[in-house]
Amino acid sequence: MEYYKHFDIVPHDFDLAGAMSSEVKRTLKRFGFGFDFIKRVSVAAYEAEINIVIHSFGGYADFRIQNNRCYLQFIDIGPGIPDIPLAMTPGYSTASEESQLNGFGAGMGLINIQKSADEMSLISDPNGTVLKLKFFITEDSYHAGS
Amino acid sequence: MKLGEIIERYQCTVYTKENFQPEKELNYGFCSDLMSDALMIMNTVRQENILKNSMLITGLATNQSIRTAEMLDVQVVVLVRGKIPANQVIELANESGITLIGTELTMFNLSGALYSMGIKGITSRK
Repeated sequence: MEYYKHFDIVPHDFDLAGAMSSEVKRTLKRFGFGFDFIKRVSVAAYEAEINIVIHSFGGYADFRIQNNRCYLQFIDIGPGIPDIPLAMTPGYSTASEESQLNGFGAGMGLINIQKSADEMSLISDPNGTVLKLKFFITEDSYHAGS
Repeated sequence: MKLGEIIERYQCTVYTKENFQPEKELNYGFCSDLMSDALMIMNTVRQENILKNSMLITGLATNQSIRTAEMLDVQVVVLVRGKIPANQVIELANESGITLIGTELTMFNLSGALYSMGIKGITSRK
């Protein structure tokens, strides 16, 4: 099974936010993946998509299924995460009031992403952030409670 | 508890007439205005039937409540404190197959009432 799709993510547009993750979820459902695999990928996608909406000057996402792996890559054009370990601390958030009014900015996003993905890499500087996530596709990925 | 019974007992308004299933059984609930927290805690649930029989109780009447429910496979969103969703929120709920209802009750009072009727809370699994 192979699949690829590119998505642009619009910063500060809370009406559109989640549209990419929603499509990822529907695609995984169509491919017959199980409940837990779909939930892990979609929640990670949603948190990462929201991060770009909340924090970035704009960015995009690539969703790929290839060689029994599901890949999600999120790239934005800044302003970067100054201190990644601090950003990974539960409850730490720099989200704006606008984000909080939209129900985000609890400071749990990156942690939830890390818990959901099988592998995660995050690099960032003021010119942008690259978040790469990998999910292994096994027999269990097609079962409901995996 | 059946969705129809919840609607009747707590005088809820049904915003999504398209997917409305009064016979739907709801046994679990989670309440938060912070979708980040809903995503974090409900993501730890491994049993499909728990989330499918859950409701997300929130005062957040935006698209993001619907998106959050959609990502988690939660099929019912209850707006508390008389929050009225915009048309685009209702449209998104219809499109995503989410039932969106609302009540004048506060989050605490609705949750307490539901709890006393045997609705269980979602607990974070380590």
